[in-house]
Amino acid sequence: MSTAFAHPVTVWIVSATVAVVAAAALAIGLLSVSGRVQPALRKELWLRLGSWCVLLPLMIGPVLAGREWTIGAVTLLGLLCYREYARATGLFRERLLSAVVVLGILAVNFAALDHWYGFFVALWPLTTCVLAVASIPLDRPAGYVQRVGLAVLGYMLFGAGLAHLGYMANDANYRPLVLLLLTAVALNDVAAFTCGKLIGGPKLLPATSPNKTISGALGAVVVTASVVALIGSALFGGTGMQAWHWLALFGVLVSVAGQSGDLMLSSIKRDIGIKDMGVVLPGHGGILDRFNSLLLVAPAVFHLIQYFIGFGLDQPVRLFTGGG
Amino acid sequence: MEWKLRPARDLGLAAGDRWRSLKRERGLVGMAVHGAWRALLRLYFRLAHRLVVQGRENLPPPPFVLVANHSSHLDALVLAAMLRGEAARSAHALAAGEVFFGSRAGAAFAAYAINAFPIWRGRTKRGDLATLRERLVEDRLVYILFPEGTRSRDGQMGPFQAGLSSIVSGTGVPVVPCWIEGAHAAWPPQRRWPRPGRLSVRIGPALPSEDRAALTEACRAAVQRLSGAG
Repeated sequence: MSTAFAHPVTVWIVSATVAVVAAAALAIGLLSVSGRVQPALRKELWLRLGSWCVLLPLMIGPVLAGREWTIGAVTLLGLLCYREYARATGLFRERLLSAVVVLGILAVNFAALDHWYGFFVALWPLTTCVLAVASIPLDRPAGYVQRVGLAVLGYMLFGAGLAHLGYMANDANYRPLVLLLLTAVALNDVAAFTCGKLIGGPKLLPATSPNKTISGALGAVVVTASVVALIGSALFGGTGMQAWHWLALFGVLVSVAGQSGDLMLSSIKRDIGIKDMGVVLPGHGGILDRFNSLLLVAPAVFHLIQYFIGFGLDQPVRLFTGGG
Repeated sequence: MEWKLRPARDLGLAAGDRWRSLKRERGLVGMAVHGAWRALLRLYFRLAHRLVVQGRENLPPPPFVLVANHSSHLDALVLAAMLRGEAARSAHALAAGEVFFGSRAGAAFAAYAINAFPIWRGRTKRGDLATLRERLVEDRLVYILFPEGTRSRDGQMGPFQAGLSSIVSGTGVPVVPCWIEGAHAAWPPQRRWPRPGRLSVRIGPALPSEDRAALTEACRAAVQRLSGAG
């Protein structure tokens, strides 16, 4: 327990998260008692809060529990997100390619667990090559570009991309950073929604996501980048990232990549013609509807920090394969 | 180039509803569970019932509908176990919803292991039949169907219901008659659990499904002939 909360930022983030959930419960309770919200909206708010009460321990718990738990949780998240994606796009009917994507997701997360960076980065092009050739022996050229395109995108997003979040756990001080990313993308969503409602104005991309506004997007960048940069200053003091402009870049990157992930999923859903990717999380939709913002944040932030600092450079490598 | 993105037919359904839905489509997990269940069944039928299958060459490539006499819970299992390859993977037994899908655990087992679709007595809507017909043709499925509608209590084959022709007639999908021998002796409706005993399945030539009026009787006659009593 003392290791889990060794860094003050971890304590701040966990405390703030608990406080926000408690405040939300209080606010919804007050609104319900006062009768100022419609029953349908009240039910929706309680459903969303209930989902968060289940989700947050599942998100924060593994990060606090340790490296293996974090990577295991990221692996499971990647598989569940891929399942929703494959069912929504119809890729699940291509059993061979789907199996290759699943194996790729397992392999890249194993590389993270093994702390083998060379294999971790090599799996991206290698899996893409396997996906490109796997279905050729079926002698079914019709639909080749579509199925391989969908499979490569699926592996990129839910395997290679998301696994960067797990790989961060190889660093001794990963907990505050991973918790910061998990909570910052949620804050980003809330900030975009709130700023958009308060300020209004022209739509951002009406055909892709009709409820998002330019003011909401810019407001989210300002709010999220400020909070992330501020917390980042406590995380990266004494490193190459401590300069204010790099911290600002870090904050902006989290916000822009988070919103891009959201818009990317909106584009996928609009293209297919569906509203949600699933029904697992009441009030949210599917798992992918909740975690879309994280998909692009993980690799983007990883490589920014990798450039300046690196991950787990003082930790043993190739823990299972033993080649280090 | 226009891509054809075709989401799962059961997209948006919660787990319990999905298991009971005629639109249910399996992913890798469902296929793995069903494959393991089929392997177990094949082992069981070989060891406990020394299963013999005759006329396997009469099975066309999917889609097709298997019809047979029905006097035991072993019937659907033995027909599913004797199929091979793509036909085995795409086989769905049409089972009584009240019996197999009543509880949540039962529905999960029927959906994942047996790969059954529920037919609700007296509650089947026209839309359900349309879904079954559509999936049979478009998804190239194999249906395992017992046109008697229920298990024979004395082992004698009863009259066939007309539901078979509602599902298959006009689709161009062939109907394959089968006769199951020994299932009633091994596990009659009156027994709680099955007992070992020889089982055999005789598969007859596929019948065309175009003549709706004559289909039901033609199928019954074909199954009867396979019993050796016809």
